[in-house]
Amino acid sequence: IASIEIPKKQWPELIASLLTNMTHQDRPASLKQATLETLGYVCEEISHEDLVQDEVNSVLTAVVQGMNLAEHSPEVRLAATKALYNALDFAQTNFENDMERSYIMKMVCETAISKEVEIRQVAFECLVSIASTYYEKLEPYMQALFELTSNAVKGDEEAVALQAIEFWSSICDEEIELQEYENPESGDSEPPNSHFIEKALSSLVPMLLETLLKQEEDQDQDDSIWNLSMAGGTCLGLVARTVGDAIVPLVMPFIEANISKQDWHCREAATYAFGSILEGPTIDKLTPLVHAGLDFMLKAMKDENNHVRDTTAWTLGRIFELLHCPASGFSVISSDNIRQVLSVLMESINDTPNVAEKVCGAIYYLAQGYEDAVPSSSLLTPFLTEIITYLIRTADRTDGGDSKLRSSAYETLNEVIRCSNVAETSRIIEHLLPVIMNKLEQTLQLQIVSTDDREKQGDLQASLCGVLQVIIQKLSSTDETKHIILQEADKIMTLFLRVFACRSSTVHEEAMLAIGALAYACGPNFENYMREFYPYLEMGLQNFEEYQVCSITVGVVGDICRALDDKVLQFCDGIMKHLLNDLGSNELHRSVKPPIFSCFGDIALAIGEHFERYVSYAVTAMQQASQICAQIDVNDEEFMEYGNQLRRSIFEAYSGILQGFKNSKPEVMSPYAPHLLQFIELVFLDRQRDESVTKAAVAVMGDLADALGPNTKLLFRNCAFYIEFLGECLQSDDEQLKETATWTQGMIGRVMVS
Amino acid sequence: MAPHDLRRPFKRAAISDQQRRRELSLQRQAQHRRDAQHQARCLASFLNPHSDPEPEPETTPEPE
Repeated sequence: IASIEIPKKQWPELIASLLTNMTHQDRPASLKQATLETLGYVCEEISHEDLVQDEVNSVLTAVVQGMNLAEHSPEVRLAATKALYNALDFAQTNFENDMERSYIMKMVCETAISKEVEIRQVAFECLVSIASTYYEKLEPYMQALFELTSNAVKGDEEAVALQAIEFWSSICDEEIELQEYENPESGDSEPPNSHFIEKALSSLVPMLLETLLKQEEDQDQDDSIWNLSMAGGTCLGLVARTVGDAIVPLVMPFIEANISKQDWHCREAATYAFGSILEGPTIDKLTPLVHAGLDFMLKAMKDENNHVRDTTAWTLGRIFELLHCPASGFSVISSDNIRQVLSVLMESINDTPNVAEKVCGAIYYLAQGYEDAVPSSSLLTPFLTEIITYLIRTADRTDGGDSKLRSSAYETLNEVIRCSNVAETSRIIEHLLPVIMNKLEQTLQLQIVSTDDREKQGDLQASLCGVLQVIIQKLSSTDETKHIILQEADKIMTLFLRVFACRSSTVHEEAMLAIGALAYACGPNFENYMREFYPYLEMGLQNFEEYQVCSITVGVVGDICRALDDKVLQFCDGIMKHLLNDLGSNELHRSVKPPIFSCFGDIALAIGEHFERYVSYAVTAMQQASQICAQIDVNDEEFMEYGNQLRRSIFEAYSGILQGFKNSKPEVMSPYAPHLLQFIELVFLDRQRDESVTKAAVAVMGDLADALGPNTKLLFRNCAFYIEFLGECLQSDDEQLKETATWTQGMIGRVMVS
Repeated sequence: MAPHDLRRPFKRAAISDQQRRRELSLQRQAQHRRDAQHQARCLASFLNPHSDPEPEPETTPEPE
């Protein structure tokens, strides 16, 4: 209630009456406890600007005094510490003031060594939150905070120690983000990077390495576990990303001392440390270490301990992810060792499910390295059949418990296909196609007796539709291999329609993605499937709740328009009705709306003059959306990105519509031309516009002149901005933009001399 | 406020393959849309040969 009424100034006496409960000595502890809880919740909901500063100060004073050991019971102190946690954002003004901030920090640090473990834990939660909210204010307290967290990590209860590690992980998050925005030329950043991690490095790293030795026996089999060694290793990885090369000499002695020890904890900790620091340091620093250690790692895949094998497989995956990039000229994999590497991976994929899943991850990154690496992609080709066979066999395993291993195997299969060299491997992929189709067919005949069965069937169908999508896309990407898909298209489509008929939305999304790829491959022949497919297309366009399904379906409408051209007309009344409904819905996620405008362009381009019946509805929606673009807050980065998408898609819609009408009824668009030019001018005046928006804007200007011809002469004459805009585009380094601007210049030039 | 969630990704791949498939589909569709519009523009110029819009080359590169 307070969150509604306080901002409207409708409950002015609330804060004072709550504070009275805290200041009167005779009030019972239970009332104070409840009051603190209430104050915490109220502070969480409102802004400090909703109260006068005196009230803000009084609230925080009451909360912080509630943490005082001498005056209050453990219950009240716990409630006060939780209230402070909730009020940290609210305390913004007080954190600006040195004295007040130091007082709050002193109280939190004192509370972090309370006798009661739950109070200590909440105090550390406050420190974690302060680390990210008030990073730039922490400098004076860092020495004390290091000691406090270090003692907690070394000797406190796990719940407290985990928070202490999280404090450092949060500092890393802040510094990684600051580095991303740092200007490498000036060397400074705003707000400043205090380099706390670098300064604490020599003490912080040994502390984290110690935690790695505190593993639990079955942590790799149980997803619900989160313990000290996991948190410590994760933090070590973040530290590596923060400081780069400097971490290597601090970690290598630990690895060397532990990697061969009898106790599996030591071997695993050493491997985990190595895997954790692979992101951050430079390739030059890591390459010799990885080259020296790769053989050892491959042998460790036969370690007697499951946990060691799991972490080793994960580390191999990290090595392939980060140090195997043939396209950029570096890789730990060569023709000399690829056979050995693959033979170890193929053997280990038969290991227990947790290890096999990590092996799938390693193969995923090994294959990914060859994407865009045309000559060296052949390195994997001789092994492709074997890799695919092992992955399918892994997907078929029944000892996975849940479907995680199966999903990993299929996802790895997808990457292996995507990154393969199509010219060399099309026969192999061709043979895989009926295997996957057959598996999908089998899922349709499964006996479903429980919801669990149904869920498993759905997961499997989703995975198989995913593989089919990847195969369709791969084989239809070249003229030499497209026929393979065309030959099987009827059967594939029949399968998808049966999947739609029996399944829920998760599978619909996967099947829809695959159908988009199939429509592109089939071209005009896709018309044969439209009658049966159309109801599912409508279902997708109406799926507001699972907006991803809706979004993908909108994309598929575009694919179908390009495939069917004017034959899509018979379905357009329904499609346009749903698209316009989607645009008008407040329920639908906003990210779906820009693709809908682009889709208008696709439809118009396909059906040409027949778009006339929709044009007033479509353009009205586009004009409304262009008004939203004009109101975008330039300080809101996320909204700015959305605004760019919206602008680009509105221009794409106009382009499609104008080109669609050009040869038969261009005059339909005449009434809308002035508004369109005004919108282009508005976008032109925005200096922060995205380049993709510029391209779409300059193209649509040409489309306007091209489609409406001499009718736009006066309009352009009154819009001098276009000359400057074209000038700017013609000066660009982007060849595509220059080409479009040149074309537009030609189109407007033709109008002007007419 | 719910307590801060301590769990961070542990020995997991950062990208989901499903997300990758979505993004690749979007890229493919965007490319085909550009191609279709580009083709419409070229076709439009081709259909009106009498008012040839062939643009003047911007600048002729000077030999160094």
